[in-house]
Amino acid sequence: MSLFSLPAVKGLIAQILGTIAGMALTTVIRALMGLPAWKAEPAWVVGALLGGVAFLFAVGAFDDWLQWMVGKETPLRHGPPPDRPAWTRYFSVDYNHKVIGIQYTVWGLFLLMAGGTFALAFRTELLRSGMQFLGLELFNNFIGLHGIVMIGGILLGVGGMANYLVPLMLGAEDMAFPRLNALGFWFNVPGALLILSSLLVGGWDAGWTGYPPLSARGPIGYQLFFLGVYFIGLSSIVGAVNLLVTILHMRPKGMSLFRMPIFVWGVFATSLIQLTATQLIGLSFLMVLVERTLGMGFFDPGLAGPGKALLEGGGDPILFQHLFWFYSHPAVYIFILPGLAVIGELLPVFARKPLFGYKWVALSSLAIALVGFLVWAHHMFVSGMNPGLRVPFMFATLLVAVPTGVKFFSWVGTIWGGKLHFPTPMLFVLGAISVFLIGGLTGPILGTVPTNMPLHDSYFVVGHFHATMFGGFVFPFFAALYFWYPKVTGRMYNETLGKIHFWLMTPAFWAQTLGQMTVGVMGMRRRIADYDPALGNGMIQAGHVVITIAGFAIAFGVLLMIYNFIRSAEVGKVAGSNPWRSRSPEWQIPSPVPEHSFAAPVTVVGEPYDYGLAGSTYVRMAAAGDD
Amino acid sequence: MSSVAVSIHESYREKLRNNRLGLWLFFVSEAFMFGGLLAARFYLWREDGVVVRPALDQQLGLIVTSVLLLSSYFMNRAETAIAHDDRENFLSGLLITAFLGLVFLAGVVIFEWGGHIKPWDGVFGAVLFGMTGMHALHVLSGVIFILIIWWNGRKGHFSADRHWGVEACAIYWHYVDLVWIFFYPALYLIGRVVH
Amino acid sequence: MGNTKSGIYRIGIVVLVALAALTGIEYIVAVTFNSAAVLFLIALAKAALVLQYFMHVYRLWSEEEH
Repeated sequence: MSLFSLPAVKGLIAQILGTIAGMALTTVIRALMGLPAWKAEPAWVVGALLGGVAFLFAVGAFDDWLQWMVGKETPLRHGPPPDRPAWTRYFSVDYNHKVIGIQYTVWGLFLLMAGGTFALAFRTELLRSGMQFLGLELFNNFIGLHGIVMIGGILLGVGGMANYLVPLMLGAEDMAFPRLNALGFWFNVPGALLILSSLLVGGWDAGWTGYPPLSARGPIGYQLFFLGVYFIGLSSIVGAVNLLVTILHMRPKGMSLFRMPIFVWGVFATSLIQLTATQLIGLSFLMVLVERTLGMGFFDPGLAGPGKALLEGGGDPILFQHLFWFYSHPAVYIFILPGLAVIGELLPVFARKPLFGYKWVALSSLAIALVGFLVWAHHMFVSGMNPGLRVPFMFATLLVAVPTGVKFFSWVGTIWGGKLHFPTPMLFVLGAISVFLIGGLTGPILGTVPTNMPLHDSYFVVGHFHATMFGGFVFPFFAALYFWYPKVTGRMYNETLGKIHFWLMTPAFWAQTLGQMTVGVMGMRRRIADYDPALGNGMIQAGHVVITIAGFAIAFGVLLMIYNFIRSAEVGKVAGSNPWRSRSPEWQIPSPVPEHSFAAPVTVVGEPYDYGLAGSTYVRMAAAGDD
Repeated sequence: MSSVAVSIHESYREKLRNNRLGLWLFFVSEAFMFGGLLAARFYLWREDGVVVRPALDQQLGLIVTSVLLLSSYFMNRAETAIAHDDRENFLSGLLITAFLGLVFLAGVVIFEWGGHIKPWDGVFGAVLFGMTGMHALHVLSGVIFILIIWWNGRKGHFSADRHWGVEACAIYWHYVDLVWIFFYPALYLIGRVVH
Repeated sequence: MGNTKSGIYRIGIVVLVALAALTGIEYIVAVTFNSAAVLFLIALAKAALVLQYFMHVYRLWSEEEH
């Protein structure tokens, strides 16, 4: 088998060729229109767009639909490709949700590590004041890339967990739309490549938020950044459609909404946000893209500022912030809702006790999702927006604490009096709770207008944000990876290495987030390459040293986890079908999960989390052939 | 029969239920994008706090709006026809719809875009071309969708029992019409005219 | 009007006429007293007609053949 027959490689080659073709096309059209033939910016925009689309065609994401267009029916493909080794299915368009879930997870871990590497680079630069090895430009590029690549990685991690687990937890054979599911994953590959390749064409220096007017005037790298985000956003939208239909329509007999595993509730709430809000980041970036390419004045007020005649004057940058944060605030709930649901999913297993207040936890996810739509302008208290908006948005923001508090209450209630076990996933769950508590408690400080004003754009915000992301996504994600690893591979990970990872990462992260908040209060601004060493009575340097060392410790822990997973896949002890004694449907079938997950239909006959209650059953599998 | 076999040969009915919900969820998603454009229009087209609009050709606005409404009627006629196995009205309805869609596109692209306002003419130009452009893109994709359905229908595909493709195409087309129901007053009618 | 083919065609024509009439009213409102609220309400009414009679939104919750 030659490397070039691998669909992913075909896609990459097509993306390069498509980019060149798009540039050539733009040049020809410009020449035909009598304009100067070569102009870099439109050529790159059309090229990048065509390149991304070419990737998807070449990888085969549209194959079946193209057949349908000419009236042919195509049966759903199952199993590994017939003419290639089995491992190649992970580099091909595969319709099995378990393969797609692994594709999401692995590509997500890759992006998380890439994004983390950008952070390590500029963290090292911040060890001392003054500029050491990163230029100012590169520093700004890395700040933005760290942000957006991490966000991409988190979205992929969420997609990985959701795609792998939701059909299994529901007892469904697969997702509602397997072909759309595959397309949803493959959008992410050209998308991430576009974002990473933006460094080659001048990068972009406004941070991941891409605020105009800076983003409307900066280098061409912005265009690739916008298009890359657009592709990843499309993935979010089609993935959300798929998950929502799956959850609403594919439940087996007896699986009423309030008998679904709590993780499915988290994914349901997250998908509602992804379905709707994602359009707004796409739209806002698309508007800057056409502003740059065609001179459409949406956001850049121009040199004269706003208030000129409507046919000549420029737009309003505040509008961009409204559109942008309408997605980008709810986006953090997209990241944390599945993570918090993992906490609720794992705690009962390791406490051997029912989940405290199941219904309230389920509804609190929906409540967070809905309230999350009403808080976006708390990012803009000092932006110059209408000051009358501040107080309503402050109240809405503080309201988020209520459903979040419900979740905390449930976690404590579940742990209380439980027979606790502490394998690695449980440790990460407890770590997640501790870290999310730090993030949660610092939230109201930033959500309140008077305290927001002095802290805005300081490192305090960085500390708060990273605590919510680590507590709400990273720790639970790692817990989920360790927890479901035996289900995915059929083998157990190395417990000692897992525990070392946890005990390395958790104190390091506490030090990092508290350190970030401390230097923030000392006067350190965020997204800035240099600082005054006299800040904080000269203590700021020490703060940055702590944060940087902690960052490297976290990175080392992650590498340890990757090593553990790769190694244990070969030498780990065989796990058996249900090593954690879980009641969830996916643990009642063999590990690794066979191609068709459930050999017999699943019937739900009881409550999901009745751990420790004698004689209670959640799911029942009919023996094969007796329906 | 095992569950595997059941789910592989999932009944058409179940798939239809999933497809419908999926398409409607996609509409909900798109509504947020079009809603964002409307928000931009009401945010940017203001003068001293008063909602304003550019001087657009009112006749053109009425004509393209009417054409799109009429096309929705013929689309509905085509879908009703195939649901009753009336192939003749089905195919002619599709063709008339596609033709009216192209007339709408011509009205917007040739006449409206050929008018005195250009994309780079301040916030009037930006929002006008942003809204009509995004909508025209959807009209264009709808016309292509209709033509694909027509071509397959002519080859004998679709029946009264199985025509999800036609239904999807029809409600997508009506959705594009629905968007214009809000875009038309926003662009042509609401606010004080500023020259 | 019922479920017969001609009955549904007739509903289509009635809806088309109603939509055209509402569009006309929109235009008249715009050139006379230009109330954004009224225009928005008319647009909502038109949207409701399209959703119900052309897009058959009720098919989402009522089981239907084909």
